[in-house]
Amino acid sequence: MKLFKLFLVLSLVVFFTSSNSGLAVITGSAHDFSGQSWNTSGEICLPCHTPHNASATNKPLWNHAVTTASFTVYTNGTIQATIGQPDGSSKLCLSCHDGTVALENFGSTTTGTHFLTSADPEFLGTDLSNDHPVSFTYNTALSTSDGELYDPAVKEVGAAGSGTIQNRWLESDKMQCSSCHDVHNTPGIAKMLRKSNAASALCLTCHNK
Amino acid sequence: MKNKLTMIIVGIILIFFVSLLHSEKISNTKHNLSVSGPGTVKAASESEICIFCHTPHAAAKTPLWNRTDPGQTFTLYSSSTTNATIGQPDGASLMCLSCHDGTIALGSVVSRTSAISFGSVTTMPAGNTNLTKNMTNDHPVSFVYNSALATADGQLQQPASITPPVSLYNTKVQCTSCHNPHENTSIKFLVASSQNSALCVSCHNRTYWSSSTHKTSTKTWNGTSPNPWFHTPWTTVTTNACESCHNPHNAGAVRNMNYAAEESNCLSCHNGNVASTNIQTQLNKTYKHNVAGYTGVHDPTEANIAVTQHVECVDCHNGHASNANAASAPNVKGSLLGVKGVDTDGNNVDPSQYEYQICYKCHSSSSWRPGSPTTRQIAQNNVRLEFDPANPSFHPVESAGPNPNVPSLISPWTTTSKVYCSDCHASDGTSVPKGPHGSTYAQILVKQYVRVDNTSESAANYALCYTCHSRTSILGDNSFREHNKHIVGEGSNCNICHDPHGISSTQGNSTNNSNLINFNTAVVSPSSSGILRFDDQGLYHGRCYLTCHGQNHNPYTY
Repeated sequence: MKLFKLFLVLSLVVFFTSSNSGLAVITGSAHDFSGQSWNTSGEICLPCHTPHNASATNKPLWNHAVTTASFTVYTNGTIQATIGQPDGSSKLCLSCHDGTVALENFGSTTTGTHFLTSADPEFLGTDLSNDHPVSFTYNTALSTSDGELYDPAVKEVGAAGSGTIQNRWLESDKMQCSSCHDVHNTPGIAKMLRKSNAASALCLTCHNK
Repeated sequence: MKNKLTMIIVGIILIFFVSLLHSEKISNTKHNLSVSGPGTVKAASESEICIFCHTPHAAAKTPLWNRTDPGQTFTLYSSSTTNATIGQPDGASLMCLSCHDGTIALGSVVSRTSAISFGSVTTMPAGNTNLTKNMTNDHPVSFVYNSALATADGQLQQPASITPPVSLYNTKVQCTSCHNPHENTSIKFLVASSQNSALCVSCHNRTYWSSSTHKTSTKTWNGTSPNPWFHTPWTTVTTNACESCHNPHNAGAVRNMNYAAEESNCLSCHNGNVASTNIQTQLNKTYKHNVAGYTGVHDPTEANIAVTQHVECVDCHNGHASNANAASAPNVKGSLLGVKGVDTDGNNVDPSQYEYQICYKCHSSSSWRPGSPTTRQIAQNNVRLEFDPANPSFHPVESAGPNPNVPSLISPWTTTSKVYCSDCHASDGTSVPKGPHGSTYAQILVKQYVRVDNTSESAANYALCYTCHSRTSILGDNSFREHNKHIVGEGSNCNICHDPHGISSTQGNSTNNSNLINFNTAVVSPSSSGILRFDDQGLYHGRCYLTCHGQNHNPYTY
């Protein structure tokens, strides 16, 4: 009987601590461009990555033309963070999603004609004032001054042992697109989210509201 | 051993869940409109919490707003006393109103092509949280609160001293100045507890308030309906503070008063249910300052000499100031602190230093001042002129009386004493609140003062006068040696010969009008020589030319 109780309790622990362990893949996802007319290579990885002769400045092994747009960044009356121009991986995301760089401008192609437009739901444009800010340092100091953000060095992204926000979701302590989105669709969650936003769980991982 | 391990594991699980509950604060509030929310108004199946207000991409406006501007024209708060320029709601307030004005579907969000279902509910249900487009009865928002405003108002904190949890946004007061939509650790999503009106006084710095009984009293409600504190959870005067009279939302009248009928804001406590002074009972009497007879006439900015006839509690009392402090005549008592008035020269004063200055607002130069109940030789119903210290005789309201010989005075009264208007004009009865609220006697007199001719003298019939003037002395003819003959023998009342307020120096003189002599012409007529006159001929001596009760005094000398 005692053994059964112990088993029950341990089962509960396992149930609540394991999260989104289902594995999905990029193949078949919205980022699988292998079937797109503009992707004459027919490859999945190539629009973004190349094993050789990749960009020297953009990692990892970057193959796509990078946006040079100037962005209007998010601001409001209460924000404590310092929001600069998009950098890091966010700039790479925006190299398709800002609509200024052709989708097929990767490898040696520079004259593509397929752009994301405002008619596309994934189009962000260069006006990011209506999008969640990215490319800002989210550290303990910010969480303290804001008062309604968790400490990223302490708060874990999921159940105990899942790792801190800082280690798992931030890029050199910065919030980037990749903090919420997994571009490779590993978790297999709608909108390529890192974590299900049911009950706004993703938002409330950082926002202590 | 296994039991210990089990307990430890269970403990860890419990701690995990308890910490989860505390960390996800909004999820436990009515602003969790998702299917998991604790309120009754919530989505049928949507699980996301933030989505009802925010979206991470393609937001309508900052901060990542997921709702559309109500696009409504609101009827704005206005009052004669506000110095703020109140425009249409903007900033965060507009976002709050996108649910709380009741015009937009609760589930209508920018990031969804069709509204999130709320089951049978579409827009905000009627009730306190549906502010409607009529914001006249809500505390104003979306106005600039700067140093100039604080200075112009005179009773607002300088904005630099307003610190969190209360905040201004782009120098403006918004809904979020008082409310935190994400957190409901107090009540009503307030940024801090409203106990003792702590939030109100973050901005409102009312003169006198710190020593007002309305701030400090620990009185409680006796439970008799109606509940004076119907919109708060607080149970004493001091914890309700501002909210004893004011309601920040869905108020009954301008200035966020609880009730449209001005006196109701006072009588909801001063009716025997909270305050020790039951004023309602006094106002039920026949003769009263009829505060219930007027609504919407009084205005705090009105001239000191009131133009339009009315009376309200706040014409004599300042609810922000009143306390129980005693004073001696003619200085105002605590109950009359902080009220404007008119001084002896007819000039405006604010605040009144002396009680009579408050009375003069209506009973001096106002065009509609009450008439005199007695027709006299010298007619005057401007009370300020009747009490002027330059007069030949007057009751000592403004200064000590001019007559050094008043043998009837009962100790501690002396000829250097002063009296309040409210020593004579006040509620009758024992253990009643002081002041001229209401009386069974005409002219709101505190005791009986019979003015009917041919009255049998008694202690009761002239109780008012006998309060200070010894009946024994008067009837013992200690001053006027024919008092007894007139009062007892002839049944003449005091009011026939004496004009109790005084005789104006602009109309009378010290020969004919000393000792408050100003005959009641309904009773007293000229002598056979056609003369109606009193001549003062020195201490306790004089002569009268008149006819009264058939007696021709032509003259009678004493």
